[in-house]
Amino acid sequence: MKKNSLFLALVIMLAAVNSTVKGQNSLSGAGATFPLPFYNMAFEQYSKATGEKVTYGGIGSGGGIRSLSDKVVDFGASDAFLSDKELSGMPAPVLHIPTCSGAVVVAFNLPGVQAIKLTPAVLVDIFMGKIKNWNDASLKKLNPSVKFPDLAITVVYRSDGSGTTNMFTDYLTKVSKEWAAKLGSGKTVNWVTGIGAKGNPGVAGTISQTKGAIGYVGSEYSFAQKIPTAYLQNKAGKFIRPSIASISAAGKSTIPADTRIMLTNSDAALAYPISGFTWILIYKDQNYANRSLAQAEATLKLIDYMVSANAQKVAAQVNYAPLPASVVKQAKSILRSVTYNGKPVIK
Amino acid sequence: MNSDKILKNVLFVASLLILLISGAMIFSLVRGSMLSIHQFGWKFLISSEWNPTQGDEHYGALLFIVGTLMTSVLALVIAIPLAFSTSLFVAEYFKGTRLASIVSTMVDLLAGIPSIIFGLWGFYILRPFIVSMGLSPQGYGIFTSGLILSIMIIPYATSLSNTTISMVSNELKEAAYSLGATRLEVILNVILPNARSGITASYILAFGRALGETLAVTMLIGNSNIMPTGIFSTGNTMSSVIANQFGEASGLQLSALVEIGLLLFVITTIINAIGKFIIKKFA
Amino acid sequence: MNQTTILSQKANANDLADSFIGRKIKDRVFLGVVILFSLLTISMVLLIIGTLVFKGHHQINWAFFTQTAPNTFDAMMAKSSGQLIPGGIVNGITGSLYLVLIASLIAIPFGVLIGIYVYENQQSKYASFLRDTADVLQGVPSIVIGLIAYLWVVVHVTHGYSVLAGSVALAIMMLPLIMRSTEESLKMIPDTLKEAAMALGTPYYKVIWRVLIPTSFSGLMTGILLAISRILGETAPLMLTTLGNPEITWNITKPISAVPLLIWQFYNDPNMVDLIWSSTLFLMGFVLILNLLSKWIAAKRKI
Repeated sequence: MKKNSLFLALVIMLAAVNSTVKGQNSLSGAGATFPLPFYNMAFEQYSKATGEKVTYGGIGSGGGIRSLSDKVVDFGASDAFLSDKELSGMPAPVLHIPTCSGAVVVAFNLPGVQAIKLTPAVLVDIFMGKIKNWNDASLKKLNPSVKFPDLAITVVYRSDGSGTTNMFTDYLTKVSKEWAAKLGSGKTVNWVTGIGAKGNPGVAGTISQTKGAIGYVGSEYSFAQKIPTAYLQNKAGKFIRPSIASISAAGKSTIPADTRIMLTNSDAALAYPISGFTWILIYKDQNYANRSLAQAEATLKLIDYMVSANAQKVAAQVNYAPLPASVVKQAKSILRSVTYNGKPVIK
Repeated sequence: MNSDKILKNVLFVASLLILLISGAMIFSLVRGSMLSIHQFGWKFLISSEWNPTQGDEHYGALLFIVGTLMTSVLALVIAIPLAFSTSLFVAEYFKGTRLASIVSTMVDLLAGIPSIIFGLWGFYILRPFIVSMGLSPQGYGIFTSGLILSIMIIPYATSLSNTTISMVSNELKEAAYSLGATRLEVILNVILPNARSGITASYILAFGRALGETLAVTMLIGNSNIMPTGIFSTGNTMSSVIANQFGEASGLQLSALVEIGLLLFVITTIINAIGKFIIKKFA
Repeated sequence: MNQTTILSQKANANDLADSFIGRKIKDRVFLGVVILFSLLTISMVLLIIGTLVFKGHHQINWAFFTQTAPNTFDAMMAKSSGQLIPGGIVNGITGSLYLVLIASLIAIPFGVLIGIYVYENQQSKYASFLRDTADVLQGVPSIVIGLIAYLWVVVHVTHGYSVLAGSVALAIMMLPLIMRSTEESLKMIPDTLKEAAMALGTPYYKVIWRVLIPTSFSGLMTGILLAISRILGETAPLMLTTLGNPEITWNITKPISAVPLLIWQFYNDPNMVDLIWSSTLFLMGFVLILNLLSKWIAAKRKI
């Protein structure tokens, strides 16, 4: 038996080494879970079209940034752009390329009620625990035709650090000085009321199982599950329903050249107020850690595919909001600035 | 003689692996916690704040330590009678029968179920049950997660126990029976003392499993950073908070999480030592 | 001899509880309690397994074992038209098998050897320390082990997510279980057997290989089986070390998928949640096969 197991071990080692030597161009990326379904579909189509294999792991934006920083992936992905401080902490300059937009929707569970209108002020008060019951006067004022029951409000938040929380709290910070002072924004915050559930499915599941619950969920998740969501009043004063169109609209405002901006509380007239980009992150100079020029070219080719028409069409099919044309142009110009040893990769 | 010496050396060198792994692990954990240790010092152990707000960051491990201890101890307390009975069932009372074989296989299957599935089962089936019993308004809490944990660790508690109980020499048992002992007396006076080492080892391994379990607990405990007020209140555990926030943490928060990991190491050591000491005293 | 003295002393006591009838009653009551608790345990196990079978059996078909994971669009289409989600988990199945194989190749030899060492040196402080260290290692959350494997292997050895990193993480989790069950199983062997072999002048390694290990084989197998069952279902360490892969791959330095990773992916995707139950059934089926296999091997080797 000893001989057999040794033989088996040998065979495995040979097989492993063999496939190392073959080495076809395979790209790996890690990061945000938010765009995971879209990325997987787009990568699959890309593989079918070009024969290049792409592996992506949804380990979280933080994991993606860490992996890029440790130089163990070709690209990272994040829902939150790197701050100036974080950028200076990376070993080399990093570029952000947006790939699509998503939003954070406010989901709720009120028997018999399909939609409610909320203003930023009321939303903040609910999540700060100031409005404790559904029959509160402020809710009735906004929704005169809705019969609110005498039911306690149960707030549900994300227990795990997430870009969804970041986007949601970023919006709340922009619309409420009190929220900015007491809780601020971030991937995790010190919630004052409610229960924490893990991941979008956790929050959505808790909301659907708890009468009177209200919480925030990623738009791609709520669209697919058809969860009742609230209309939010945006900066222009209109009550907007979250939809692919209203999320894309948020990207139509002015974006800085490096695309690092939170689209929350956008100026655009028809924008859904809690929307944002998700980015792919790469090093500006692709010659690091023994990377070949071929590998750099393959990486850029993939990202270019992601922002082009074919992939963007896929995004809409799976409930993600495609990039507005102006942003696509910006993305492509960022790609053209990527260098290998100082020379641009895309000629 | 030469081959004996070689073998002894090989065994010794092999044993170094465990030390190497643990040592390197502690080294990495300590290095990662340095930032947090410098910032908070001893207060980290007694502070129940966990505030990631930028500019006002303040972290403390007390909440999580309490939550971990409550859930794991509860899990063990529930699991031991169940696991011990099942072990006796399989390895003594019905030893060698088809029934025992089926039961032990079924229990072993539990070990292969991913913790996320346990979490979901607890969410969809256990939680409504607890709500309907009126024990808790939402069904989340220390009790729910402790209960799920206990089910998860039963295979660890039975597996080694089964082996050691069934390996107690027949001669010893027969000698006792021939003196007129009842089954219970044979179990208490012959089997238990002889299999005690293996049984204890399996409970310690089961407890370790409970301490380190993350996903199932995090889905059922409510994840509220409050001091648990009772067995049905919500709370948070060390493994949970690490798994929840690690992916997105950086800087001081990351360091605080790593320090919690280090603390878990320390607490496991202390509790294991206490447990072994108590068992020695009971000898 | 101690046990005999205790028993005869008990027989001489005058208490009702220690009288013959009292002892018989206690015996019966205890049996009742044991059966009750065992039934409780079994019914919980049946409840869980039953839920899994109920929720997952219809997703199991030939495609399940031969096709790779579906994408979210196909799943969405299938769901809205009431059909079964297409695709399967073959990339996860091959990945899990590969990872378990490599992890076992690392953990089993070391675990058994260290177990033997501790058994042979019961009195030494060093062995005691090893034992305690193993017990503490058992309590480390799998995500921390994953993090360590990320630091050591992903960053410094393979410079990328890889099978090797995942296997190292899984092997670390297997070690305490295998080591402790080896030691405890060896301890249950009567000394007379070992002494007889040594008295015949058998070299030490032969005593271990030919006498000790075969006798304690079922115990060893139990520990190995438990360790494998555990790592089959682990997600967190694999997320930090192997990343996942949409295809079947055998390259030890590249990312690979695994069934628990797929389960996590399905869980987080609103269209593919239904696949998690059938994937779990696969894991359980695999554990069942291993279980039956080990029982069969143990039966064949019975002395």
